[in-house]
Amino acid sequence: MTSDGMPREVAVRASGLGKTYRLGERLRLGGAFTKRLRREPVHKRTIDALDEVTFDVMQGECIGIVGANGSGKSTFLQILSRTVVPTRGSLTVRGRVLPMLSIGAGFHLELTGRENVVLQGAILGVPRRTVLARMDDIMEFAELKRHADTPLKRYSVGMQSRLSFAIGMRFPADIYIFDEVLAVIDGAFRDRCLAEIERIVGSGPTILFVSHDLGQVARLCERTLWLEHGRLRALGHTEKLLERYRTRQTPPAGVDDGGP
Amino acid sequence: MTATPLHRTHARSDDLAAWRAVPPEVNIRPVRRRIAVRDVTANLGLIRVLVARDLKVKYKQSVLGPIWLFFQPFALLVAFVIGFHSVANVDTGGVSYALFALTGLSMWSYFSSASAAGALSLLGNTNLVRFTSCPRLVLTLANLLASLPALLVPAAAAVVAALMDGYGSANLILAPLAAIWLVLLTAAFTAITASLAVKWHDIPAALPFLLQVGVFLAPIAYPAENLSGVTRVLLTLNPLTGVIEAWRWCVLAVPPDGLALAVSLTLTALLAMGAWLIFGRLEVTMADDI
Repeated sequence: MTSDGMPREVAVRASGLGKTYRLGERLRLGGAFTKRLRREPVHKRTIDALDEVTFDVMQGECIGIVGANGSGKSTFLQILSRTVVPTRGSLTVRGRVLPMLSIGAGFHLELTGRENVVLQGAILGVPRRTVLARMDDIMEFAELKRHADTPLKRYSVGMQSRLSFAIGMRFPADIYIFDEVLAVIDGAFRDRCLAEIERIVGSGPTILFVSHDLGQVARLCERTLWLEHGRLRALGHTEKLLERYRTRQTPPAGVDDGGP
Repeated sequence: MTATPLHRTHARSDDLAAWRAVPPEVNIRPVRRRIAVRDVTANLGLIRVLVARDLKVKYKQSVLGPIWLFFQPFALLVAFVIGFHSVANVDTGGVSYALFALTGLSMWSYFSSASAAGALSLLGNTNLVRFTSCPRLVLTLANLLASLPALLVPAAAAVVAALMDGYGSANLILAPLAAIWLVLLTAAFTAITASLAVKWHDIPAALPFLLQVGVFLAPIAYPAENLSGVTRVLLTLNPLTGVIEAWRWCVLAVPPDGLALAVSLTLTALLAMGAWLIFGRLEVTMADDI
């Protein structure tokens, strides 16, 4: 396992990673297909959601990812969690990934809380025995012990996100991904989640943490990665990087001025 | 789901260690096709949970529940008896018409309900496709398995009716093979429609109409021998024709049309290969397209 040329301490290595999306409808009447039949020129408009991104994430590190909307954060995390296939480059991942790209993705409203935990476990590939063993722990963390056998459609949004989070925190993995998920939960529970992430950070696993809340990034992450227009703008010490990031951010991010 | 027994609340560390050790290193690169037998074999647990989920959801908040499984084929059977037997007086070669139609319908029932539900197996799981890496093929397969009651119930009814009418023969031993053939054919067809449906929503829109017409384009309500010329050729080109002929041979000992069997077997194999290639190709962009 060590003779693969990769230093042991690297958990995620991106090299020349890129993802290109084609814009517009793929096929419809009057679209590109008909134009091709008529031998009219077809304009393929594309956008590089991610381009030439190269960096390493070390094992046991909690790395923050910041960037404006559309800077490629989610695309990168989708590639890492293997839902999306890159167009260029490669991404080497060492260990089990537990992605939390969205609160309650894969929840089924007709099933009970407990049944949903089993479902999530199966989707994430956690062994059934481990899922059952951690069931009580999950329900306790989510403060849902009394509602474990209630169908999810009777849960409030807050209860659903608590359950989602408890699953994300209590299932074992080597690499945890949190994509903006803390934004939707509030108050005391968010503080517990932050504390729990801090606890996980110290205990070995690697964490990739995306947030618009720079305070949270500063609290959790030693290093931070800054994406801009799909490219790696900077990677470095969170404090210094966020200083630059904040000043950079001041002009309204609404207008795309074509990059730096 | 019952409460977790206390003796199971402690994680079995050996189990966990094995789980952790599985992928030492994964290299994610651009690929043109993403599908593997391993997607299925390594995810049997997930398939089981998804099937249980689909079954539970299907019959929750439904008063009649599984009784609906009888309804659809039974209603069609009544319609066929009126239309093809009472009005058109179709010759079924000595077999009572109702029994003849029931055997055909028991195959059709699964194909139509499984492919109608299966075409939406990916679209209906948007969150799983967009936010998780669970192999998409598993979603479609689980959906097909959850539709199996629509095969087992009418097929059992057909076999019982045939036995009561005195049609029992040694051929019956091969009946499960015919049923497996039907499931394979349906799976191949559904893998294609489900993966195409992610990109083109026309597919699920067109399917109910095609299925409505399709019931008349297979030897379900009438024997294939009643047709000749072009219509017979068209019927032979329907891969379901061979499945139904095989099933009738098993249950009613009606001699099958050998050519139809051979054509249908070949078409099933081609369809399965096509499904593998198409699904694997589309799986790459499914999270982007859905």
